[in-house]
Amino acid sequence: MIEITNLDKYYGSHHVLKGINLSIQKGEVVVIIGPSGSGKSTLLRCMNYLEPIQSGQIMIENEPIGMIEHNGKQREMPQKNLNKMREKVGMVFQNFNLFPHLSVRDNITLSPLTLGKMNKNTANKTAYSLLAKVGLADRATAFPDQLSGGQKQRVAIARALAMKPHVMLFDEPTSALDPELIGEVLDAMKELAKEGMTMIVVTHEMGFAKEMADRVVVMDQGQIIEAGTPGVIFTNPAQERTKVFLHKVLTHS
Amino acid sequence: MALDFGILWQDGNLPLLLQGLWVTIRMTFLALILSCFIGLVIGLGSMSKVKWISGISATYLAWFRGTPLLVQLMLLYYGLAISLHIDFSASVAGVLGLGMYSGAYVSEIVRGAIQSIDRGQMEAGRSLGLSHWQTMFKVILPQAIRRMLPPLANEFIALTKNSSLLSVITVAELMRAANTIVADNYKYFEIYLTIAIFYFVVNFVISTLIKILERKLNVEGVRS
Ligand SMILES: Nc1ncnc2c1ncn2[C@@H]1O[C@H](COP(=O)(O)OP(=O)(O)OP(=O)(O)O)[C@@H](O)[C@H]1O
Ligand SMILES: [Mg+2]
Repeated sequence: MIEITNLDKYYGSHHVLKGINLSIQKGEVVVIIGPSGSGKSTLLRCMNYLEPIQSGQIMIENEPIGMIEHNGKQREMPQKNLNKMREKVGMVFQNFNLFPHLSVRDNITLSPLTLGKMNKNTANKTAYSLLAKVGLADRATAFPDQLSGGQKQRVAIARALAMKPHVMLFDEPTSALDPELIGEVLDAMKELAKEGMTMIVVTHEMGFAKEMADRVVVMDQGQIIEAGTPGVIFTNPAQERTKVFLHKVLTHS
Repeated sequence: MALDFGILWQDGNLPLLLQGLWVTIRMTFLALILSCFIGLVIGLGSMSKVKWISGISATYLAWFRGTPLLVQLMLLYYGLAISLHIDFSASVAGVLGLGMYSGAYVSEIVRGAIQSIDRGQMEAGRSLGLSHWQTMFKVILPQAIRRMLPPLANEFIALTKNSSLLSVITVAELMRAANTIVADNYKYFEIYLTIAIFYFVVNFVISTLIKILERKLNVEGVRS
């Protein structure tokens, strides 16, 4: 359902993603791990074109996102089509990025209402059922600053789900949380995975990776150095760099 | 020194001043609306990725901030009329002049407030499928407006004070009313002190209104 081919990304002259190839099946849960600065966030952000790419291609359900061929040249697709493509891709950020001026419910209904996806009634019903799903049915009228970090992140998940995305991207969804709040967010994500959502998760939570991932992708210095089932990656990785990285994370947590 | 505030009650002076005050309030209010509109357009324009739009916005800002308001008013009222035969009435020229001048400052307030909003807000909006402008109007601006209020209060107060310059292009506002009266009776201190108090009261009302608005917006939800 996602097909990334020969993706190159530069920040100025800094080559951040180097010829990435990655193919993700429908319903798959892929966890991306790797040292800081290896390009994990950047790769994720390219997948909904929050970051422009310099060459290569990203296809989502057989449609390109961001760049398209036009008269034999690569160029950015019209904003309208880009917005349409982004509706298919939900994203959850490390810092939640909830809208502080809107109630929890309005955070969730803003996009479906603004884009005319639902009428007010349906949108509100959807919001309440999504909140129930992430265990926050009673917080609909609260404002983001009245929530704990774990609650905020669960609202952010509900907000992304309201657009009925076909794939969900998570960029270190629990890194900004106090340790005791991590579990509730991971539980919501597990729930989602069990329902068959296609998920791409950047995380340092190796427990989650071991339990939920169909595939673990290891990045280093802008490249995918290896990928495999959690069983293989965690017990018998092929790359020395993977071993070193895993050793560091696992002894620190 | 013998002060004689009784002069206010003679020769219809007080009604004349009150009339002037009303003109000042009206002109200032209209100019204020114009300056908000211009400020929003130029402020958003200055952040545009389209070169000619940001270019025009930057030029606008540089010109109206870099030249004296008095000179701008003279150009607008006398200059255009005499050389280009664009003949505005004094009040129209006054509102335009004040509004365009103040709009330059408001545009900086708008830009500053928008840029102070975390980048993640725009990214969150875009990732939900909203367009740039939908996110701007539904997510960024509602938050930015709260941050604009304190500097806007300053700008509106400056605008009120600057409206006294309209006296030189013959607008019958408060300053001009006072000038007319003192030309007759030489009671400079009494008359100018009176209009100073009028200006003060107007500005006090403006800053109080904005404080109330700030508090109201805060109660409605945002503490960030
Ligand atoms: N906006 C930016 N401008 C310039 N360089 C950037 C920008 N964002 C990221 N980079 C650089 O790109 C490289 C990859 O960054 P990225 O954030 O994707 O890494 P990461 O794997 O997500 O790291 P972390 O685990 O710390 O989040 C880093 O060298 C970083 O310094
Ligand atoms: Mg990152």
